Amino acid sequence: MKTKCNNIRISWHGFATRICISYLRLSTLIWGLLILAGCQQSKSFKQGESAVRYYFDGDFPRAIRKLEPLSQKTDENYVLNNLRLGSAALTAYELDEAEAAFLRAWEVINAGGVNSGGRAVAAVWIDEKLKIWKGEPYERALASFYLGLTYYMRQDYNNARGAFENALFKLRDYANPDKDRSDYSQQESTFVLAHLMLGRCQLRLGREDLAQQAFDDAKRLQPRLSGLAEPAIHAESNVLLVVDFGYGPRKVTDYDGAIVGFAPTPNTAGYLPKARVIVNQFDYAIDGLNEPTLDTIAMAQDRRWQSIDTIRTVKTTVGTGLIAAGAGYGIYRGAKGDFEAQDAAIVGGLIAAGALLKVTSQADVRQWEMVPRSIYLLPLKLPPGTHDITVSFPEMNGLHQSWRGLVVPPTGESTYYMRMNRWWPGPFSWPPARVQILPEPQEKK
Amino acid sequence: MKWLACLIALLAVSCKSAVQSGTSTALDGVDLVRMTDDMAARIGSDLQVNQAIQVSGPLKIVVTPVVNQLRAEVIPRGAANAFTGRVRALVSKHAPDRFIWIMNRDAFYDLRSRERQLQIDAGPNPDTVQPDYALTATFSSLGDENRKRREQFYVCVFELTNIQTRALLWSGSYEIKKESVRDFLD
Repeated sequence: MKTKCNNIRISWHGFATRICISYLRLSTLIWGLLILAGCQQSKSFKQGESAVRYYFDGDFPRAIRKLEPLSQKTDENYVLNNLRLGSAALTAYELDEAEAAFLRAWEVINAGGVNSGGRAVAAVWIDEKLKIWKGEPYERALASFYLGLTYYMRQDYNNARGAFENALFKLRDYANPDKDRSDYSQQESTFVLAHLMLGRCQLRLGREDLAQQAFDDAKRLQPRLSGLAEPAIHAESNVLLVVDFGYGPRKVTDYDGAIVGFAPTPNTAGYLPKARVIVNQFDYAIDGLNEPTLDTIAMAQDRRWQSIDTIRTVKTTVGTGLIAAGAGYGIYRGAKGDFEAQDAAIVGGLIAAGALLKVTSQADVRQWEMVPRSIYLLPLKLPPGTHDITVSFPEMNGLHQSWRGLVVPPTGESTYYMRMNRWWPGPFSWPPARVQILPEPQEKK
Repeated sequence: MKWLACLIALLAVSCKSAVQSGTSTALDGVDLVRMTDDMAARIGSDLQVNQAIQVSGPLKIVVTPVVNQLRAEVIPRGAANAFTGRVRALVSKHAPDRFIWIMNRDAFYDLRSRERQLQIDAGPNPDTVQPDYALTATFSSLGDENRKRREQFYVCVFELTNIQTRALLWSGSYEIKKESVRDFLD
């Protein structure tokens, strides 16, 4: 077949070969860049992941030490590393560090157009992991919640209120754009926790009317938690235990890594148990208040299909098509018995281009690993002084955590955060020792 | 190949860091400067404030941090002190003889603990001087957010109040609307 172009007669076969050879060079260059980018990404990403391992091993100083330099790097993992640092610092009761880290993440999460321009192009055409990670809506809501909790623990109720209100905004990303406002309350019903904490903040700020409104919203959205949404319970309680239980959903991929989903599903994850509280070796009567307030595994399933998902799916489908076309062409030419060097270039070019599209269509599976499966709010009313408190989940093979000498003030309230982990049962002493944050020793190569 | 090199160079240049790119609806340094410049100028030139000075001499004023009544926004401690602190700094710079500034107790002890480090004078101990007036600021907002945008309409009210009588000597407000539009990757 011949084609005429600007009075120059070019052999179609030669033209196609040149294009494919050029594709080969192009693919080689892009592959090289991808490998380089991958190496760079993996180094800092591995550091982040090792910090997460330290966190789950209960080595908070080391986790914080690893995460601190990463949290200052304003790269695509800036928000993620700050949320990780915030979690580690909050669990270690380093509230200054936790506030600063959550605040850094919050500022970027709340900003618009963070991934505009070159980053959007790079994320779409090269690797989605090049976009600045801001998390799924449930992760954003939890980021706001933990910032609010940090303020609440420091009795900065105005800022806590602002952060809890913001947590509710974040769930609007799940809402159906066609329904908009009518769909908001459905999404907020999965995060009644924020309404409950809002109610507590308003009580502490002396706004009983607004507190009543927040608790009414909580009751309306989640009747299961109506016991916990009684204003009197919160007005009288002088200790609040905020207990993180279990592990959040894992981001998984399907269809050659191009489609994102979450595992496990609510059906396979098992039920959420009720908490038991023991104060000074006696059971504390907390029936009706010991329910889980949320299930992040269920919340994650509300993830909506995004434009980037469509782009990835199209890329991987076209990639598969190009690989198949390249292979088919090679087989066809081979069967005809006239497979030449030019054909090898065409086959190679098509397959390389297809593979390139498939490699660049991998979904971004970064996630905030410290997210719990559920959060329990346990309001207690105790005499002022010090108390030994244990929170346990008898149905979970005796999972528990104990603290000695928790302080109950004569006026006001105190709030304690506990991250349940089988490997940290305690007993821990209050106040916890300050974390010595020394520079991380250089690892031997 | 040249176009590819150009494209990659363009991408590298346009890939801004996480804190350089994007627009936020939070109050920022520009708002701080504009707002406090405006407030300081208004306090200094206010007729009633100047009459009060003529009657009772320099006003003893305690400065308190901003009260956050914003919807879905936080004001960290540093920023809360900065907004009223800068008004104090500007007014005391331009009219040092007309006002005696007294820190609120928390800020005073916080500053005194870092006095050597910061090399500044924390001023008189609030326990030894009884202020007559309080400079307060309350920031409120109407905020909303959806999948496409986040917006906040701020009303920042500064007040100079007589502590004994609760009478309002001076009040000024600053209003601003901020909006950030979200991309498809946000």
